[in-house]
Amino acid sequence: MSDFRQSQNEAHPNKTNTLMTGIIFLLILFVTIQIWFLFGALNNALQENLNFAITTALGSLVFAFASFWLLKYLPEPIKRKMKK
Amino acid sequence: MSKDPNSEIPKCKQDFPIEQKEATHVSRREFAKFLTLLSGALAVGNTAIVVKSLAFPEKPLEGEHAICMESEVGDGDSFMFEIEGSKTIPYLLINLGNGEWRAFEQKCTHLSCAVKYRHDLGQIECPCHKGYFNPRTGDVIQGPPPRPLPQLEVVIREGQVFVKAQQT
Repeated sequence: MSDFRQSQNEAHPNKTNTLMTGIIFLLILFVTIQIWFLFGALNNALQENLNFAITTALGSLVFAFASFWLLKYLPEPIKRKMKK
Repeated sequence: MSKDPNSEIPKCKQDFPIEQKEATHVSRREFAKFLTLLSGALAVGNTAIVVKSLAFPEKPLEGEHAICMESEVGDGDSFMFEIEGSKTIPYLLINLGNGEWRAFEQKCTHLSCAVKYRHDLGQIECPCHKGYFNPRTGDVIQGPPPRPLPQLEVVIREGQVFVKAQQT
């Protein structure tokens, strides 16, 4: 007998793909912004601009936590689903 | 349906498959996890900058340092010297003429190339990427350097040239 999850997956076969693509796009966006922050912080740290370094560090940490939180929504591998 | 435990490959073997194709294949899950790890590493790096600047602040130059005799550097000439501190920093002493003396850090603020004074142009030049600085203020005139050159105060006493940290 199929459960709710299985029927949902069958009704929307592209869902895993869309989720995966969305998550990867978001992660790439986060990492790009973090690289920008790090570059800016390095440049500003040389000029002893501590406030900028602190702000970018906090922003970078928020993005890192958001990245880890996004992993929660990674879809299960298709192979494992097929076995069930 | 119960899972057959033998049908699942143990994790240790999943990491070291026999087929090369399987070993080089990176799934989207793995890629997403790698990106997350990279994101964490960038956050750690950014935090390290703050920790470093809070825990080990750069000490300003203390006291006066004798550099050379006034007669050793003619009008329009420059003289390179280093000051030992928490780190050794190279400086450039410039005699602009008419008793005007300046001392700047010799590292270009762009990519740390050694700058030199061009008396024919009346500017400090970074030969690497053609950055030009004002020899009186250290301000950027042209080129890629993002900040002015750090400056020291020059004091002439009894024919000898001394430098000290600039009073702000």
